[in-house]
Amino acid sequence: MNGDEQPYQRPDRLSSVPDVAPPADAETLLRAVARGDEAAFTRLYELVAPRVYGLARRVVRDPAQAEEVAQEALVEVWRTASRFDPARGSATAWVFTITHRRAVDRVRSEQAALDRVQRMAPEATQTPADEVVEQATARLQRQQVRRCIKTLTDLQREAITLAYYGGYTYQQVAQLLGAGLPTVKTRMRDGLIRLRDCLGVEVSA
Amino acid sequence: MSEIHSLAGPYVLHALDESERETFIQHLRGCETCAAEVAELNETVARLADDAWSVPPPALRDNVLAAVRRTRQIPPARPVRVRREPTRWWRHPAALTTAACLLVAALVGGATWTVQEQRLRDERATAQAAQQELARTQAVLTAQDATVRTSDVAGGGKVTVVASPSQDAAVILLATHSPGAQKAYQFWLMEGTTPHSAGVLAAGQGTATHLVSGVNAADAMGLTVEPAGGSASPTLPIIAEIPMK
Ligand SMILES: [Zn+2]
Repeated sequence: MNGDEQPYQRPDRLSSVPDVAPPADAETLLRAVARGDEAAFTRLYELVAPRVYGLARRVVRDPAQAEEVAQEALVEVWRTASRFDPARGSATAWVFTITHRRAVDRVRSEQAALDRVQRMAPEATQTPADEVVEQATARLQRQQVRRCIKTLTDLQREAITLAYYGGYTYQQVAQLLGAGLPTVKTRMRDGLIRLRDCLGVEVSA
Repeated sequence: MSEIHSLAGPYVLHALDESERETFIQHLRGCETCAAEVAELNETVARLADDAWSVPPPALRDNVLAAVRRTRQIPPARPVRVRREPTRWWRHPAALTTAACLLVAALVGGATWTVQEQRLRDERATAQAAQQELARTQAVLTAQDATVRTSDVAGGGKVTVVASPSQDAAVILLATHSPGAQKAYQFWLMEGTTPHSAGVLAAGQGTATHLVSGVNAADAMGLTVEPAGGSASPTLPIIAEIPMK
């Protein structure tokens, strides 16, 4: 430290980190959305859209279809917001569950067509130039998830990621991994339990 | 007993087929242990979305907000109320004006309803057209004689053309960056040296699944960047070209 340090002065405003917007709480926003508040929906969009789109993209792979799935899911969030029940889980979990379900439905209905295209043109649907700047918080969350995924056994990890990001049923996962059905469903469950403990996930009921 | 509990994992991962899913939902209604576990695992699984973070295309925001503006929300599920005795409004003179208001409201409501019906019909027609396009796209992608050709796009990204001679159609899968807000990607079918437009994407759109008919005479498919709305003839350079023969 240098010698001519200024005496401590009380900051004018309490928000001392200018780059970070006040954290919007998804649950508060979702409750407002349920009352038809479009402005709240726009803020909720900003909060969840990168993960909604990213998840859709990861599961369905084709960018155009991912965009459709993301749109369907986000409109469903708007349409059914009044059915969100905070006693059963967080607002973000509710949104990503809707998204994942939509993405998986899309993959299963288009599986045959997609399989064919992807088998023949493996890079055709891969990520183009959108590896853009990430928000610091998003990177942090991502790191935490990755760190926790690393604590799983190989079979747990593969079973979970194939099902979640690949959109496969556990029977398909068993086939892909050459493992038995009971093993795969058990590994999914105990892998998720380990992940839960690592992430410190709780449901405040 | 323990057999069905183990479905909690695949259930929250959406990895059950429909029949097993139904079975497990039935089970959840009566098993508190599973219900509590599912709630926690659901929360855990949702965190996996953190690792999928990706910048959404700018058009998504506009499209979603526009769709929201025309989408009606479902009302909250209300507990069933005990029905009250109807009040006899004709005994209260003040209630008469209310009744007149209600009548007007009912008439206006009828008009609104008619408009909504029309809009519903329009939406259904649009949805049908989209369904047909989707069906045709799938038919091309799964055709026995489908050929797949991929090319890099100058400046980054890929374009893939799946063509089926028996259907005289092709599906173009474009995955590249946005051409800029005021510009649009346009596809061209080249017959010899003569280009025919095979469709223009929306301004700013960089990813698409695009169906093109009447491709059998074409020698090649080309991609250019044009002003929003497209051009009558291609603006050079051609940033991707795929032979069709
Ligand atoms: Zn149970």
